[in-house]
Amino acid sequence: MDKLERLLNLAAALLDADRPLTADELRDRIGGYPEGKTAFRRTFERDKDDLRAMGLPLKVEPVPGTDPPTDGYRMRRADYTGTELRLEPDELASLHLATNLVRLDGADTGLLKLGGSAGSEADEVGRVPFDDALAVMIAAAADRRAVTFTYNDTERMVEPWRLSFTRGHWYLAGYDRTRDDERLYRVDRIAGEVIVGDPATQEVGAPSDPTDLRGWELGDGEPVRALVRIDAVQAAHARHLLGEVEELDDGGVVAELAVRNPEAFRSFVLSFLDHAEILEPPELRADMIAWLEAAT
Amino acid sequence: MSAKLTARERMTRLLAVIPWVVEQDGAPLDEISARFDYPRKQLVDDLTQVVLFVGVHPFTPDSMIEVDITDDRVQIRYADWFAQPLRLTPEEGARLLTAGRTVLSLGDDEQATPLLRALAKLGMALGESADSAVDVRLGDAPEATLATLRRAVAEQTQVELDYYTYGRDQLTTRTVDPARVFSDHGNWYLHGYCHRADDERVFRVDRVRDARGSTTPITHPLEGGGASFSPDGDDPRVRLALDPRASWVVEQYPTEAVSTRDDGRIDVVMAVTAQPWLERLLLRLGPDAEVIESGEPLPADLAAAAATRILARYRS
Repeated sequence: MDKLERLLNLAAALLDADRPLTADELRDRIGGYPEGKTAFRRTFERDKDDLRAMGLPLKVEPVPGTDPPTDGYRMRRADYTGTELRLEPDELASLHLATNLVRLDGADTGLLKLGGSAGSEADEVGRVPFDDALAVMIAAAADRRAVTFTYNDTERMVEPWRLSFTRGHWYLAGYDRTRDDERLYRVDRIAGEVIVGDPATQEVGAPSDPTDLRGWELGDGEPVRALVRIDAVQAAHARHLLGEVEELDDGGVVAELAVRNPEAFRSFVLSFLDHAEILEPPELRADMIAWLEAAT
Repeated sequence: MSAKLTARERMTRLLAVIPWVVEQDGAPLDEISARFDYPRKQLVDDLTQVVLFVGVHPFTPDSMIEVDITDDRVQIRYADWFAQPLRLTPEEGARLLTAGRTVLSLGDDEQATPLLRALAKLGMALGESADSAVDVRLGDAPEATLATLRRAVAEQTQVELDYYTYGRDQLTTRTVDPARVFSDHGNWYLHGYCHRADDERVFRVDRVRDARGSTTPITHPLEGGGASFSPDGDDPRVRLALDPRASWVVEQYPTEAVSTRDDGRIDVVMAVTAQPWLERLLLRLGPDAEVIESGEPLPADLAAAAATRILARYRS
């Protein structure tokens, strides 16, 4: 029997039953499973994983009246259907158009469930990196739930407020339960799986805007004030990146930066090559000299 | 659609196709195939060789799905278990929300009304804070520059750009026949024909210092999209050994070959479109990168020479 046929029959059997069914009952009702207990178990486990991966709400529940208690499998129709969106045709078409205009990396199965692609094809306007971890965090922010993940080798429990994509990177702003404070994270530095936890406890705050926050400002320590001189040839570029800067008579500029992450600060200054120089403070200036000497 | 669909992909589609066809009270094969991105032959095979045999115990005719294809039109009956679409997972909803909110941020009013309604319904399913959960900026070039370029694309007229080439650290003025404005991974780009280079070029819009429209029609229309980065076959190549800590380089820049070395470091080959770009990268990486090989005309001691040049500033 085709695997697809077996999976569809498994889903139908579960949706049809008004009580949890044991694995043995399912095998007898569906057919198409291999002979032998071990082979059956292995195939059945894979089938369950497939159903869950497709978003089918398969639950494990004790079968009533069994002694000793036996676990069975259940899929309620209400869970299967969820909240129906009831989109009008023009609303569905607008969502379809949106997914054509803005391509997110990865597969888009959501539109299929809403009735497939209904609109006309449109030229792509933008492409944005995206993955499952981001989707999980956006959904958690929408539903006001905490998430756990590893960041800088530390386990964090965060109530997400907003996921922002800006200047080519995704940022998570939220309330860090462990630190009892608002924090901003670079999503590409989140390691391991993002796990959704219990409901949020704090009101949604006003997340700081990651556009205003540069790499050198992302850190846990107290900020250090630094002055950087940038030559006239790169002054327009510096103004564009930094906004307000002090203008010098020779066309150059001096930028004042709040540095929480010295490594990111060094990388930023080096991006101007020999058109920029750290003026203050002496420690950061000395760091730069030592770094450059090591490179010669 | 070229690759064969997996069992999972076929099932995901069928669980969407069945309720839709039931709701429509039948639909043409071609329309189902297009709507659900389902190759027609596979669709016919799956309906007649799989779905027709789906049902529940004891699999008597009245406990099985009925599929009828007559004159290329599909009817599906007795599919009660699958008569409603499967719920959107929160992650699928989050993807749609992200795409939708991004389009809203572009400010195209024509689409805004139905899209706002769609996102409101989606938001109700996703949770109370869906409206503020995600924010996408496709790039941060000045609106006025983008508007000038988009108008020129629409009207097919030439633009004059004052353009800063970051890699070469130069400001130049050039006349461009614009073909397309697009965003890729956080930056706006203009793809067009550059009269100064006498060739196709892709420009980063945030490095356009000034864009001046004209009424002169373009002379070199371009086909195709343009990639945000396209190295030249003649560009020199560099082979680097990167510490695993610097693995972000592989994700952030286009590479031509990546492998793991015996010492655990990452071996990577990249095209160098401009020397200052490589200087910046190497200085930033410091001890985390070693140049294994660099093609002519790149000097072997590129990073050291750049470091010496910068140090001179700190010593004068």
